[in-house]
Amino acid sequence: MSAEPNIEPQTKATLAGLGFAGHELSRATLDACVKCTICETQCPVSAVTPLFTGPKFVGPQAERFRNGESVDHSLDYCSSCGTCTLVCPQGVQIAELNSQARAVMKADHMPIRDRLIGQTVLMGKVMTPVAPIARAVLNNKPIRKVMEAVVGVHADAPMPPAQSQSFEGWFTKRAKPAGPFPRGAVVFFHGCAGNYFEVETSKKSVEVLEHLGYEVLVPKHGCCGLAQQSNGLFDSATKSVLKLCDDLRSAGADLTIVSASGSCTGMLKHEAHEIMGVEDERLHDVGVRTRDIMEFLLDLYDAGELPTDFGPIDMTVPYHAPCQLKSQGMGKPALEVLKLIPGLTVVDSNKTCCGIAGTYGLKKEKYEVAQAVGKPLFDMVKETNPDLALCDTETCRWQIEQSSGVRTEHPIFLIHAAYGLSTLA
Amino acid sequence: MSRVVVIGAGLAGWVAANRLADNGHSVVLLHKGLGGLQLGQGSIDVFGYDPARVTNPIAAVAAASAPHPYATLGTGSVVAAVAYLKQLLPGLLVGDPEANYQLPTAVGAIRPTCLAQPSMIAGNAHDGASWVIVGLRRLKDFSAELIAANLSRTELPDGGRLQARAITIDVAARESEIDSTGLTFARAFDDPDFRKRFTAALAPQLKPGETVGLPAVLGLADPTAWSDVAANLGHDVFEIPLPPPSVLGMRLDQALRARALEAGVRVVPGVRTVAFDAEGGRVRSVSIATEPAPRSFTADAFVLATGGFESGALELDSYGQVHEALFDLPVTTVDTALFHGDYWGPEQPLFTIGVPVNAAMQPLDASGASVYANLHAAGGILAGNAGWRDKTGDGVAAASALAAADAIGKERP
Repeated sequence: MSAEPNIEPQTKATLAGLGFAGHELSRATLDACVKCTICETQCPVSAVTPLFTGPKFVGPQAERFRNGESVDHSLDYCSSCGTCTLVCPQGVQIAELNSQARAVMKADHMPIRDRLIGQTVLMGKVMTPVAPIARAVLNNKPIRKVMEAVVGVHADAPMPPAQSQSFEGWFTKRAKPAGPFPRGAVVFFHGCAGNYFEVETSKKSVEVLEHLGYEVLVPKHGCCGLAQQSNGLFDSATKSVLKLCDDLRSAGADLTIVSASGSCTGMLKHEAHEIMGVEDERLHDVGVRTRDIMEFLLDLYDAGELPTDFGPIDMTVPYHAPCQLKSQGMGKPALEVLKLIPGLTVVDSNKTCCGIAGTYGLKKEKYEVAQAVGKPLFDMVKETNPDLALCDTETCRWQIEQSSGVRTEHPIFLIHAAYGLSTLA
Repeated sequence: MSRVVVIGAGLAGWVAANRLADNGHSVVLLHKGLGGLQLGQGSIDVFGYDPARVTNPIAAVAAASAPHPYATLGTGSVVAAVAYLKQLLPGLLVGDPEANYQLPTAVGAIRPTCLAQPSMIAGNAHDGASWVIVGLRRLKDFSAELIAANLSRTELPDGGRLQARAITIDVAARESEIDSTGLTFARAFDDPDFRKRFTAALAPQLKPGETVGLPAVLGLADPTAWSDVAANLGHDVFEIPLPPPSVLGMRLDQALRARALEAGVRVVPGVRTVAFDAEGGRVRSVSIATEPAPRSFTADAFVLATGGFESGALELDSYGQVHEALFDLPVTTVDTALFHGDYWGPEQPLFTIGVPVNAAMQPLDASGASVYANLHAAGGILAGNAGWRDKTGDGVAAASALAAADAIGKERP
C-alpha cells in the first residue's frame, strides 16, 4: 500500500456515466421496487433531517431519470449506512444505487477533504510514531477549529486514537506462542484501524484465537479501501482492495481469514463487488474465506467446537450492531456469543445507526445530522451502563464513545476476559 | 429443546417464532426484508365478510368449509391464537374474538376487524355517534372532508347513523416541510411539546361531546402519545389507518420483533432463503443467498412463513404453472382457467392456489401424505387463503403459526 495520498481527480470518463458493471447489477433490481415505503420508514437520516428526501425517492425513483447525470443532489446526504437495502422485501439494492450515483455526481468536483479522509493508512503511519503529540493535537480545540475551516472536518467529530505501538509492531516483536496448534492456522486481517488505532482489539483477537488452539498468521497488509469507496473514489478503492486480496492470499490458500474490523469484512465479502462492480477471482476467493471474529466464534459454537468454559462477568452492557455488520446477512453474532458468558446481560441497542457511517459524521456539513441520527443510541448507552458499551466496528466505537462519554470496546474484550486472558479494567 | 428455523417476518413468522421460543426451542428467524405488517392497518382481522359483513368472527370460523384454511384449523386454534396475540402485545391489542369492531377507513367506509389498538376503538361506529374528523393540512394522505361526508351518508352495520363533520388544521411536523409523511407526523407526536402545540390549536374548534377522529399518526415510540392527546383535549379520540407507511402497522411489527428478541429468537434480517437440503423425508438445512457465498442453517424443524404471490413465495410461470419458490412443494390446482375477465367479479381462481396442509400444518402431497415430516407451513402460503376478500388473513396467519409451533413441540427431534 502506497503511503501517498491519491488526489488525482477521478474523471467522469472513469465511471463512464455509471455504465460500469456494478451499476448494471444494481440497476437490474430497480424494477422490483413496488413503492411500499418500507425503506423510507427505516432510513435513519431522513428521520432527522428534511435535507435527505429518503432512500426510495433518491434511489429507485430518481434512478429512472438518471442518464449519467444526477437529478437530485440531496443524495449527498445519504450516509450509505445500507439500512434501506437491508429492509427492502423486494431485493432492490437501494443503498448501492445511491452510492454509485453519488460517485458520479461528485466525480468532477470531489472535495479534497473527501480524498484525504479515505487515507487511513497514511493517517496511521503519520500518527503512530508521534502518538502523544497526535493525541494532543486532535484534542486541541483551536487546532480543530482551524481544521474544520480549512479541511471541513467538524471540530467535535471523533478522531482515531493514536497509539504508540502498531499491532504489527507488537505482533512481530512479541514472543510467539510455541504451540501446539491443534486447530491449524488462520489468517488475521487487522485492517488499517486495527493496525494503528484499535491495537488492543487486534491483540485480544489474536490471543483468543491462539487460546482456542489456532496458529495465527498475519501477512503484511494494508487497507481494504472502504473509506475511499464510501467517498466515491472507486478507482483507488479498487486498487486497495485487490492489493489487500493479494496480501491476504500470500499467507496460504484455503485458510480462513478472521478479522475484528466488522466493516472491512463487509467490503471484502460484498461491497467491493456489489457497489464498485469488482469482478475478480482474488476478491471472490478472499471474500468466501473471510469471517468477522464474532461470526467465526458463533460458527464454532453452532458446530459444537467452541469451549464455553467462560468465567462469570457480572455486568449489564449495551451492545450496538453496526450497519455494515448487519448488511452481511448473519444477524448479530456477537449477541449470540456473549449470551454464553455467565452473569453477563447484554442489551441490544436495537437502534438503526450511530450516525458516523464511516466518515460521514466527520464532515462539517453532516456532523449535526450524524449526531441527531445517533442520539437515541447515545441515550440508550448512557442509561444502560455509564462505564462500558460494546460495538464491532472502529469508527462506530469512536462515535459512540465521543458522543455518549461511555467507553466503547469491541465484544472480543469480554470474550478475552471471560476466557481468563485478561481482567476488565 | 430442539432447534427450529422460521422463514419469514410477517404476522405468521413472528407468531411462530415467539411461540417456539416460549416453548423452549432454540429459534432462528430468517427474513429477506421487513414483512407486510407495516403495510396493513395495524389491527387483526379474523373474519370480516362471509360474504356478508360478519359481527361474530368465531361463529364465521366455525361455519367455514374447505378449502378455506379455517376448515382445517377449527375454532379452537383461532381462539387460542387471538388469546396468544393479546398476551404477546399487552396494551397494544384489545378485542373479543366473538365481536368485531366496525372501524372507519381513510375513505370513510366501515370495516370489520377483530382486535384493534386501544387508540382505534373510540371509532367503533354506532348509532347516534357524533364525530369530528380532523385533517392535517400538510398530510396529503388523509382527506377529512371525504371521510366525514362518506361516514355521514352511510347506514351503519347496526342500522343506525352517525354524524361526522370535518375540520382541517395546520400544525407543522417539521417547519421546513409543506408535505410531510404520516411517519414524520408520528415522530413529532412522540414529543410532548408537539402534542401540546397540536392540542392547543385543535381544542378551540371542538364542540362538547364530540369524538375526535385523527389520522393514525399519534406517536410511534411513545405508547402514551394518543391518550395524552385525548387527555389534553378532554375528548375521546380515535386513529384512522393511513396508506403505507402505516404507523399502526409499524407499531405491531416493532412490538412483535422486540418481543421475539426478548424471548431469545436469533433474527437474521436481509437474507433470501433460496435452497434446502433434505434426507430421508426430512429437511436437514436451508441456505440463504448471502454474498459472496451462501450460508446454511441446520435445524430439527422448519416453519415456512414466506407469504403468497405478493411476496414471491408463490410464483406463476409463463406456462401457467404455480410453484412454491423455496421447497417446490406441491400446490393445489383449479379445474378452470386461472383468471376470469370480470375485474369486479368473484375471486380469481389463481388466488385460491397454495400449499395444502394437514392439522399439524405439514405440507401434503397428492396422496395426502406429508412431504417432509419436520416442515410446517403457515400464513399466506396456505391453499384456500383469500384474506384480502373475506378479511381472514391475520386470523389464518396467527392460528396456523400457532398450530405449526405447537405441532413441532410434539415431535421427537
